[in-house]
Amino acid sequence: MFLDPQILANGLMLGALYACIAVGFSLVWGVLNVINMMHGSLIILSGYLTFFAWLHLKVNPFLMLLVVSPVLFAFGYALQYGLINRVVSRPVLTTLTLTFGLDMILYNLMNVVFEATPRRIILDLGSLSVGDVVLPNDRLFAMFLALGLTLLLFWVMRSSRAGRAIVAVRMDRDAAALMGIPIRQVYAMTFAIGALMAGACGVLLAITFPVTTNISGLLLGKAFVVCVIGGLGSVPGALVGGLALGLIESYTGTWWGPQTAVLLGFVLMIVLLMTRPTGLLGKAGYE
Amino acid sequence: MSEPLMQVSGLVSGYGDVQVLWGMELAVQAGEICCIVGSNGAGKSTLLRTISGLVAARGGSVRFAGRELAGATPAQVLQAGIAHVPEGRRLFRGLTVRDNLLLGAYHRTGATRAEIDDDLGQIYDSFPILKERRNQDATTLSGGEQQMCAIGRGIMSRPTLLMIDELSLGLAPLAVEKLCDSLRAINRGGLSILVVEQDVLTAFELAQHAFVVETGRVTVSGSCAELARNPQVRQAYMGI
Repeated sequence: MFLDPQILANGLMLGALYACIAVGFSLVWGVLNVINMMHGSLIILSGYLTFFAWLHLKVNPFLMLLVVSPVLFAFGYALQYGLINRVVSRPVLTTLTLTFGLDMILYNLMNVVFEATPRRIILDLGSLSVGDVVLPNDRLFAMFLALGLTLLLFWVMRSSRAGRAIVAVRMDRDAAALMGIPIRQVYAMTFAIGALMAGACGVLLAITFPVTTNISGLLLGKAFVVCVIGGLGSVPGALVGGLALGLIESYTGTWWGPQTAVLLGFVLMIVLLMTRPTGLLGKAGYE
Repeated sequence: MSEPLMQVSGLVSGYGDVQVLWGMELAVQAGEICCIVGSNGAGKSTLLRTISGLVAARGGSVRFAGRELAGATPAQVLQAGIAHVPEGRRLFRGLTVRDNLLLGAYHRTGATRAEIDDDLGQIYDSFPILKERRNQDATTLSGGEQQMCAIGRGIMSRPTLLMIDELSLGLAPLAVEKLCDSLRAINRGGLSILVVEQDVLTAFELAQHAFVVETGRVTVSGSCAELARNPQVRQAYMGI
């Protein structure tokens, strides 16, 4: 039963999306020590942008990646530079309250403007059959894009000048300042990358699932669970945590129903918090 | 004497309600190695942190190469030509030796890749062990190697003055000797060096000029040879 390839494939497709959702959240949390309560709503906002561009302007949702990501990047940069930076060195509860308040505003604005009715993009891309396993093409593409974006972020963090600066700030803010790294800009850049990843996830989500404001809190919860499972502040951690959660939900969902699957994710989070709070991969050096 | 490379006068700073520096006076001449000695809590590290802009100056001035640096940000101080190797090395965990060194050159946006690679090569020439370990997590190096890496990271910014906080702290005597030899060679290449050092014997052997700091002020200063004969200094810091 563990080897049922259909459940495995579903789990991996879901897990890749979870990894992509968590990786931006984890980056912001790990580097800035800011728990971005808006992460779920940013994903939904991007999902709506993608949906309406598809509905009214007939824009291919995959192309919206190139539009939504930069928009969210700019939005995130401005938000961190202008607002969150003012309180970023305060205790985590202060920044959490700020992003929680911002989330309330964004969430309710979306409810007013878009209404909470689930909306679904219909692409009819067909599906790929391998033996008994059916892989819907839209989900398959979304999975590869999610994995690709996650790996791209990993590469940027490891090999680019900006990535080195972000890791340096995360590891030792004073020493980073001594390197001439502009801390406030790096914070803004980090939050912007987190928002960009949320934006990209929103697009992928809109391609594969119905978009509704109702699930923004659930998505935020997933990001939490993935970070706790995989370990905070690292791309490999988010990847492992995301895939693990996807597989767990896929298997338990098939065996015991979807409610149990969601529940089990949170139970696992609590158990891991009590037994291994650094996550499966521990605190990694590079993001 | 010509105008010094760096002239610190009346420098005042501290943390919160605690004032640490009470009118610091010192001068570093171009091309020399200076040392600052003094007991724990005298304000040596705070002095370096104030010069490099990590701690805000509350009064006084830092003249460096014709510019006023009191109140400047760390990035501006670095741009002006002062690199600060902090106490405890403070290498970036999770990054390789090479990445740590490259971060030293972060602010040199105008430099080409070839120039940076060239400078990296020079660091590797000064500290061959760093070349050997370049792909290793920097914080897995031995203490002495970490100090080499931290100094190399400082030099990667192409400074005119290199400030090193607690050069020998926690290092084996042999490692300290090696570091001092390397620093002398680097100094002969034209780089001025200001070292904060608890071990007065090591400091006086390395430097030409010394400043003795007590409770946030320079109380005695002069050439190291002079100070080594000063009975007060001998008794207080050399245990003789």
